[in-house]
Amino acid sequence: MRETPNFTGWRATILHRPDTTTERLTRQLKLLGLTVSIQWEPLGAHELPDIVLIDADQGWDDLLPWRDGKASVPVVALLGSEAPGRIAWAMQQGAGAIIAKPVATSAVYPALVMAVAIHAERSAAAKHQQHLEERVRLRPLVHAAVQKIMAARKVDEEHAYSILRNCAMQRRYPMEQVAALILAGAEPLPEAG
Amino acid sequence: MGSAVKIGILYSTKGPYGAIGRDSRDGAEFAMEEIEAAHPGAIEPVYIDPQGHIPAYLEGARSMLRESGCRHIVGTITSIARKEVIPLVEKHDGLLWYMCPYEGFEANENVIYTGACPNQHLLPLFDYLLPRYGRRPYLVGANYVWGWEMNRLARELINKAGGEVLGERYLPLEETAVERIILDIEQRRPSFVLNNLIGPASYAFLRAFRELGARDPDFLPENCPVVSCDLSECELDEIGAGVATGHLSVAAYFDSLVSPENLAFKLHASEHFGPDRHFSNIFASAYTAAKLCAETIISAGTDDPQTVRRLVSGTPLSTVFGPVQIDPDTNHMTLPFHLGCINDDNGFDIVNSQGAIAADPYLTRRRTKMPVRLRIVS
Repeated sequence: MRETPNFTGWRATILHRPDTTTERLTRQLKLLGLTVSIQWEPLGAHELPDIVLIDADQGWDDLLPWRDGKASVPVVALLGSEAPGRIAWAMQQGAGAIIAKPVATSAVYPALVMAVAIHAERSAAAKHQQHLEERVRLRPLVHAAVQKIMAARKVDEEHAYSILRNCAMQRRYPMEQVAALILAGAEPLPEAG
Repeated sequence: MGSAVKIGILYSTKGPYGAIGRDSRDGAEFAMEEIEAAHPGAIEPVYIDPQGHIPAYLEGARSMLRESGCRHIVGTITSIARKEVIPLVEKHDGLLWYMCPYEGFEANENVIYTGACPNQHLLPLFDYLLPRYGRRPYLVGANYVWGWEMNRLARELINKAGGEVLGERYLPLEETAVERIILDIEQRRPSFVLNNLIGPASYAFLRAFRELGARDPDFLPENCPVVSCDLSECELDEIGAGVATGHLSVAAYFDSLVSPENLAFKLHASEHFGPDRHFSNIFASAYTAAKLCAETIISAGTDDPQTVRRLVSGTPLSTVFGPVQIDPDTNHMTLPFHLGCINDDNGFDIVNSQGAIAADPYLTRRRTKMPVRLRIVS
């Protein structure tokens, strides 16, 4: 942890019936610099806070506006139960950390730090995966463009590939995009370098 | 109130941090004697000495809370001991009065913190040190959370200042084999050494560092000081007179402070402990915590911990630290910052001071702008 995590100015929503749990959480979150709202009804997709703390003992599927654990913001599960079903539910909501009930105040800050870090890690991994998938999907375009360059410039496949790559680098486009442009005839066929 | 209210005093007078524990206990005991003189029979202290054994802290706290009927415990020195005792104090809805400088990142409803956290010691210390000595320190620390977290924060501050940490080494409290660290420091030639070692390891390090300075003047204190955040008067005798002269330490209190509060305090304490006794930050802190605890109970007419907590916080308090307050949100005390330079008489000459600083245990106030979101640590 290179930089001390700081939650000053963050907005937290606690999805939990107001009781001593929400009181203790609110006190601790406020002294960590967060503003806190408490509700026991579904969270709208357009009113997302910076972090959500959710009752995993009694929570139901529609409380959060996302599915399959693809949380838009970091999630901390509040859990008294040890039932595997409730733990699984917490994970399905995308929880990156658990605070056991009754809440020990010393559990709050570590849970926030962990949930935020895990959310950031998951978001980065998902983005990376999406990028790779896109590239795989467009791979046939690259292949076709390489074939076109090989035929036009009378070079081998390796050479044609490096011509395409150099062209992409010069224009600062992804290879796939340059390949598509070449195939569409929108881009002049690059010279053999 | 009918019978005397019992207050637990839980300090170790033996073990690797025995010198600190003895001063803590003396401070608390001195406060209790003052209270007894002013309000005979109102308060009855219950002393337990865990002798530096962690399980004995838990047993001691349990016995105080369950058998003696204490609802307040003044005590614990290390964070390990504090963390051990807190769950029990929470369970009994008691109040722990913790008075040592510590690494922060805690604000428990059942604890009153009268010791400084990093924005009251390390941050102002670095503000002072970096422009004067440079931004290339060497970090040493005790092999537990105090050393680790203080040095992590130091590294963060150094990185932000564009400096470089030249080395980072840890030793157990009782480890005195410091030669390899000294050699490493000699080779790397830092601008200063941040010392978060505790007990015998710290004392051995300061002795060896003096020898290093004797053979290479670059390591004399005026060129490369060893700076601590918790070294106090009560430990200098163990290190040896003159051994650590010229090195620096931070505290909210030094024996040598010239203030009306301290002059009155010392006059009174010297009657009890003799004119040669140097009072430390630890002594003053334990005294203040015990006294605040007892006086608040007496004026409240109850030892109900939540009532006491409410009454003691958010109101100006006059203490040996000067005028301070306990923040009702964090339960931490505002404290002044003093930087002391060790002298040949095993005391400190004060070289820099700041007025009372409000505690910011989670360092939430350091940045005024919206914080940068957490990034993935690679």
